Amino acid sequence: MNLRFIKSPEKRIITEQLNEQFGIENLPYLLLESGKEKIRAFSGHLSKEEISKISQILNIESIGIYLLRKETHSELRLSFDATHILKNQIKNNIIDINKAQLIEWIRGRDVSINTDKGIKVIKYNSDFLGCGKSSGDRIINHVPKDRRIKK
Amino acid sequence: MKPELKPKFIERMHKLLSNDEDFENFNEIIHKPPRNFIRCNTLKISPSILFERLSKKWIVSQPFPEHHEIMLINSDLKPGELGNAIEHLLGYYYIQEISSMMSVLALNPKPNEFILDLCASPGSKTTQIVAGMQNSGTLIANDFKLDRIMILSSNLERCGVTNCIITRNDAINICSRISKTQLRFDKILLDVPCSGEGTLRSSPKTFEMWNENIVHKLSRQQKKFIAFALKCLKPKGTLVYSTCTHSPEENESVIDFALKNFPVKIETLSLPLNCRQGVISWYGDKYSNETLKCCRIYPHDNDSEGFFVSKLTLLEEMK
Repeated sequence: MNLRFIKSPEKRIITEQLNEQFGIENLPYLLLESGKEKIRAFSGHLSKEEISKISQILNIESIGIYLLRKETHSELRLSFDATHILKNQIKNNIIDINKAQLIEWIRGRDVSINTDKGIKVIKYNSDFLGCGKSSGDRIINHVPKDRRIKK
Repeated sequence: MKPELKPKFIERMHKLLSNDEDFENFNEIIHKPPRNFIRCNTLKISPSILFERLSKKWIVSQPFPEHHEIMLINSDLKPGELGNAIEHLLGYYYIQEISSMMSVLALNPKPNEFILDLCASPGSKTTQIVAGMQNSGTLIANDFKLDRIMILSSNLERCGVTNCIITRNDAINICSRISKTQLRFDKILLDVPCSGEGTLRSSPKTFEMWNENIVHKLSRQQKKFIAFALKCLKPKGTLVYSTCTHSPEENESVIDFALKNFPVKIETLSLPLNCRQGVISWYGDKYSNETLKCCRIYPHDNDSEGFFVSKLTLLEEMK
């Protein structure tokens, strides 16, 4: 894995953007870039320097959890699991879906909902179910394939 | 069709178990499918909330008063029903056989510790360790093959694990490299590849694949693993060695090798399953009396799979 730690100024921009989109104020993680436009979050006690040293002797495959992806127009899309770990901070752009929509969503299908365009956090009761992209009249599904209910 | 046990396997199990009745009880239960245990992922949900949710669709019990996270599903389930439930997809629980939870209970992971899980995939014990660490400290989860790493990675994401570094290295190679640095771990889980004699209930294929040569080959490999792993431990650090097999060559023989060659002591275990003492002699080999402190979990003692756990403390740093 090529390690690229996100520096403080860039982390500040990401946090500000998350705040604007979802009301998230605090990212208590070390952030790393992983693959194209993907950011991972690490909560462990090791510092950047210690992780870099470890990477010189061990073959690191991944660090922490997949947190978000940078979309076009500088929007950020939280990963399926990030919506859960940040659920206590998410205040804006939440779409509460009903049981019928949940069944569609968790099977990987888009759901028809009229709302403003942009990235939305999908929620059913107390369960946070990742993000979708609203086109105005439907939410495009981003539930990872291995997390969908099989028919 | 009932799989046939190989004569040599029958002979060895007869020798391990105390009498004919004991063997018959063993032989009866290994042909029955295992019970459906799950472990609540406390990183994402509390046992009480999960219990309430699952009780609406299944008959659920929490058989261990000191471990509310362990739940037993008593309903008749369709194939794949546990894995296809929304609570599973959301990472609220992990489907894990009860005996395999014992090695992490023995390890007793705590917040802020630095832990190595040397043979981590598919991740049941790894996620259990992180639950104990509450996503603090750091866990290095290692495995060797890329396909196994993919499964491990997927399970860690599903369970919301944020404090883990996944590495792909040969177990001996990784320990050799670490031992040449200043890095030392508070705790190591060494849940080694084994002949799988304890998994006959869930994996009847083991009946066909089992042979004594594999047992001996694995035993030699497991001794190398423990020798190299101990070099990565801090003084007073803990190493838990576990297998899902009954063969003493892969269990007490490995612990005896560690006791006789390295500055370690073996700890007495207190686990919520019925454990039998370790064996101290096997086909002419004599093991240290200390191996009596090992824990042998037999399927017919607990209506579980078979397992072996032992816990070592390193007395002084190894050079």
